[in-house]
Amino acid sequence: MFEKKLEQTAEKGTLGFVLLGPIFGMLYIFLLPLIGIMTLLLAIPEYAHAKKAPVIENADVCMGCHAMKGVDKVFRNKERVSVFVDAKDFQNTVHGFLSCDSCHTKISLETHPGTANVFESKNAFVLDASQACRMCHSEEQLRAKPHHAAIANRSNAPPCTDCHGSHTVKRISDWKPALAGNQYCLTCHSQNMSKTHRNGEKLSLHIDPSSTLSASVHNGHACNDCHAEFSKAAHPMKTFGSSREHSIVLSGACKRCHAEKYTTLKDSIHSKGRFQWGEAVVSAGSINMKAPVCTDCHGFHTVGPRAMYETLSGMPCKGCHEAIFTKYSQSVHGMAQARGEHKAPLCSSCHFAHEVKATAMTERIKTACLGCHQTAENAHKKWLPNAELHLSAVSCPSCHSPRSGKGIYLKLYDQNTGKPFTEEQIVKLLGTDYQGLSERMNAHGEGIDSEGLWNIVRQLNEKGAGARLTFLGKMELNEGSEAHMLSVKKNAVRECESCHNANSAFFKTVTVAIVKADGGMVRYRANPEVLGSMISLASLRQFYVLGSTRLKILDWIGILMVFGGLSVPLAHITARVLTSPIREAKRLNKMRKGDRR
Amino acid sequence: MKKLYLHPLPVRIWHWINAVSFVVLIVTGLQIRYREFLGLMKFRDAVDVHNFFGFLIIFNFFLWLVYYIVTGKIKIYIPPLSIKKFVLGCIRQARYYGYGIFLGEENPHHSSPDNKFNPMQQIAYLSIMVVLIPLQLWTGLLLWDIKGFASWIDMFGGIKIVDTVHVFLFLFFTSFLFVHVYLATLGHTATEHIKAMFTGYEEIEEHVH
Repeated sequence: MFEKKLEQTAEKGTLGFVLLGPIFGMLYIFLLPLIGIMTLLLAIPEYAHAKKAPVIENADVCMGCHAMKGVDKVFRNKERVSVFVDAKDFQNTVHGFLSCDSCHTKISLETHPGTANVFESKNAFVLDASQACRMCHSEEQLRAKPHHAAIANRSNAPPCTDCHGSHTVKRISDWKPALAGNQYCLTCHSQNMSKTHRNGEKLSLHIDPSSTLSASVHNGHACNDCHAEFSKAAHPMKTFGSSREHSIVLSGACKRCHAEKYTTLKDSIHSKGRFQWGEAVVSAGSINMKAPVCTDCHGFHTVGPRAMYETLSGMPCKGCHEAIFTKYSQSVHGMAQARGEHKAPLCSSCHFAHEVKATAMTERIKTACLGCHQTAENAHKKWLPNAELHLSAVSCPSCHSPRSGKGIYLKLYDQNTGKPFTEEQIVKLLGTDYQGLSERMNAHGEGIDSEGLWNIVRQLNEKGAGARLTFLGKMELNEGSEAHMLSVKKNAVRECESCHNANSAFFKTVTVAIVKADGGMVRYRANPEVLGSMISLASLRQFYVLGSTRLKILDWIGILMVFGGLSVPLAHITARVLTSPIREAKRLNKMRKGDRR
Repeated sequence: MKKLYLHPLPVRIWHWINAVSFVVLIVTGLQIRYREFLGLMKFRDAVDVHNFFGFLIIFNFFLWLVYYIVTGKIKIYIPPLSIKKFVLGCIRQARYYGYGIFLGEENPHHSSPDNKFNPMQQIAYLSIMVVLIPLQLWTGLLLWDIKGFASWIDMFGGIKIVDTVHVFLFLFFTSFLFVHVYLATLGHTATEHIKAMFTGYEEIEEHVH
């Protein structure tokens, strides 16, 4: 049974072998290399990765065209971009193991090259191409660094390639830390990037090293000389309410080198007592956000030499003080500047740049005037009696800004120290508050009267622990801005009668000016009667102007005295006339007696 | 009638410089103070003239002071040291001006070079020459250079007080001037005292007792 089966099989097998053998043989010969090639093809990525053999070499199809220089891709908006890829450079990148279509996933030889899927613009193309990065680089990886997360996850985030490049992507840790100084920062900040403040304002974070830093006097500085919290190891994410807040906070960096200027500015009217700039806490509303900080005048990355700060345009002062600047432009100084006489003063020439302080009732502006007009004091002495007194009691623009409205400013001084008594000192000594002082200063709604002034001076002197307080008077302009309408010399007020005359309009406006500790000033209206009141003999004892601040009561006493003096002879003569018959009778009587004798 | 040499030349020179200065200072003073009512001259000119005559009168005051002290004649200004004598003398003189003169009585005081003034004149002129004039000259000087004399002005209590004193005295002198001129006409004739102030000689009636 077994043999029969074997025989049968042998018979059948022989036939089969004869028939199938060549078929299988042929199949084997042809299939084996095919299988081998397929297996090899499947194994290539692993093989390439293991050996770092550039697959691109096999991307001959792509490189057939893209190795050529001078071939441009033209987008629909006519933007052009070179299609050249430097294969050697690419091999050295961190992506050197990838093939072209690893990233360019949408390229199909059926449509490429061709115009079917041409992008609208270079930007659209780059944005699309950057999507490929996300295939490998996870969300977590992008969020790992806060500044990276902040940039990458924004709706308007720049495409990856803006910072990392396209065919030149290198592992950052391989090259960036080795970059010197500012180059490290500029790898990102030379890109077109910006951030948005909480109020929606945009702040460009783009630095153009060629046009900004290099032209600046700070061109030798490292970025983190000013941006001290930033380094290769740290890049804190900061948020600001507004561009203004940002400027205020960042100006604090300047004090690291310019401490002296910083202190001066902090003591100035622009900052003192109301500004907390450069410090971390800046809350709008609690401080004067408009008050200038370093960068307003000096710029930030473009800090220029001193001569560049102020221009004929009046900026930055004009930003807040435009009305004043307009008046200045029409003044003798402003017009001289416009003619190109650069010696003519600009804002800071008189007000100084950093130590800007309240000017009314101070010698600051006079000092500035005399700084240029050095012969002015002597020139006045030649024609003006008591020139020194006039120059101290009458502000320069009172005469040299002839169209200005003038008035009398009364300022409380301690005669012992020669310094003004501040609002803070007054409030403390009077035991009241600012509101209380304000009410006392305007009790009847017509400005403080002589009695009110005297009561204040008396009380202060009683409690003033040795202070000898009195109001000093000075002629000043009613509107400080009019001080900028300075005219040529020939127009200046020269007539004594303009002031030394009880009808002079300049004595109809009287202001009590109280200096604040921060150099500012509070103004209260005073009733002009204070100038001629008997009571003011005590409170305004150091202020007197010939003819204009006469004590009214003294005028009446004068009239009485003169009439009294006249009436003595008149009455006596009258009495003599009336009594002349008596004397005549007596004389006749005497004569008669003589005759009898 | 006999002639009495009552006013030596230095006294007459002093008197008339004083008289002219007073008038000029009063007029310019009024012009300075009341510019809106008076337009005799410019303010500036009024100040200059006032200052000039101010210094002239200061110089003149010292002329008076030196002359009267050196010659010892200052005693004519000193009222009787006895209060009783002084008071009685004043009453007698006041009675004359207020009563006796109307009845044709004789002036109880007879001027002589050694006893020129009656007790009322003595007390008036002594106060004027020793207190009021120096005070007026001094305050005037302070007002002339307010900056230069700032510490003195401060000692006085302030510029407003110095000025008030100066103006008050100016008003007083103005009113006194009327009385002074009138009294000068109360000689035996209206011009007798005035003439004497030019010539130095006063005509005295010889009394027959």
